[in-house]
Amino acid sequence: MSDATKKFVITRFDPDRDEGPRTQEYEIPVQSDWKVLDAINFIKDEIDGSLSHRWSCRMAVCGSCGMMVNGEPKLTCKTALSTYGDTVTIEPLANFPTIRDLVVEMDGFMDKFKSVKPFIIVAKERAVEEGTHRQSPEELQDFKQFSMCINCMLCYSACPVVANEPEFLGPAAIALGHRYNMDSRDDGADERNEIFRGEGTVFSCSYANECSEVCPKNVDPAAAVNQAKFNAVVDWATGLILPRGGEE
Amino acid sequence: MSGAAHPDAMAPPQPGRTRTAPPRKPSSWPAHPRMRVYTLFGLTGVVYFAMGFVLLYVFWQLGKGDAAWMSVMASMTSPFFIAFHVLSLISVVFVGVRFFRLFPKSQPAKIGPAKPPPQPVILAMLYAVWIGLTGLFVAILAGGLF
Repeated sequence: MSDATKKFVITRFDPDRDEGPRTQEYEIPVQSDWKVLDAINFIKDEIDGSLSHRWSCRMAVCGSCGMMVNGEPKLTCKTALSTYGDTVTIEPLANFPTIRDLVVEMDGFMDKFKSVKPFIIVAKERAVEEGTHRQSPEELQDFKQFSMCINCMLCYSACPVVANEPEFLGPAAIALGHRYNMDSRDDGADERNEIFRGEGTVFSCSYANECSEVCPKNVDPAAAVNQAKFNAVVDWATGLILPRGGEE
Repeated sequence: MSGAAHPDAMAPPQPGRTRTAPPRKPSSWPAHPRMRVYTLFGLTGVVYFAMGFVLLYVFWQLGKGDAAWMSVMASMTSPFFIAFHVLSLISVVFVGVRFFRLFPKSQPAKIGPAKPPPQPVILAMLYAVWIGLTGLFVAILAGGLF
């Protein structure tokens, strides 16, 4: 049942027809329990089938539906429409090239992700008869928070460094690398810390903390980036002071 | 959205077959309270930069003898320098509070086998050290200790 109407100002961009992004307005009936995504889906289904946007799970798990809502990066399936006034502006995620309408180019993001070696690196493979890798709840607690990232890219949209330094590795990728560095089953911290000490990585972060403010899963990437700074320095200093670089 | 972001922000290393619109910065940045705080945090650097020059000038005058030093001390009572020092104090307190708020979560999960204390304890320790040192300097400057 419809409660009221709202005006939506949506950014449109068709690479085959438009020189650049433009806006289009839609006035639609909305319901009080709608999320922002419900309104966008209503426009797509009932008014303008040419509108392009990404979405999937509708429960803040898949990370597909990130967009700028009234200028702030939001997961639209998690953002209540009732928190906004009569006019709502919807744009594609900031700091990303736009492919079409509200759909952004993700390849640059995926490349940054891959560069931090986001997998468990083992120094020596264990035979099956040696048993499984065991991890205590306390060890899990060291990194669990950072493993909750859903790759929604909101943190890249909010980060002032990403906007100005294209080589910056960015919050989510660093948080993911840090997550594996903190994993008790992983032996790849030296490799990742070397990456983190490179140009455009952890030390480019100016600790604006915007990534953590907008994270819909409370991952706190700013904490990961700044913990990674500390670990990268300790790793470098250890290699400098200890014999054989601290290797056993 | 407000201004243009760096044209290559989050761009893939190889351009795709589809033409893309260039990235834009979020429009909320100039006006958003969080971004205003961040910008003010950056602007305090100007105050510290000016304070550095004032200190250099004071030390320079100290080397010129008693009369020059007394002249500098007298100039510090002018409304301009009082306002400047009030601004410096506000800047230091602002940066200190922001730094203390963000510092606890920046601590590594553990250093060797040792884990840092809980974040509220770290925060309390920071404020205790800050207040203690401020009290110590006030006591020294007031002539209470030496």
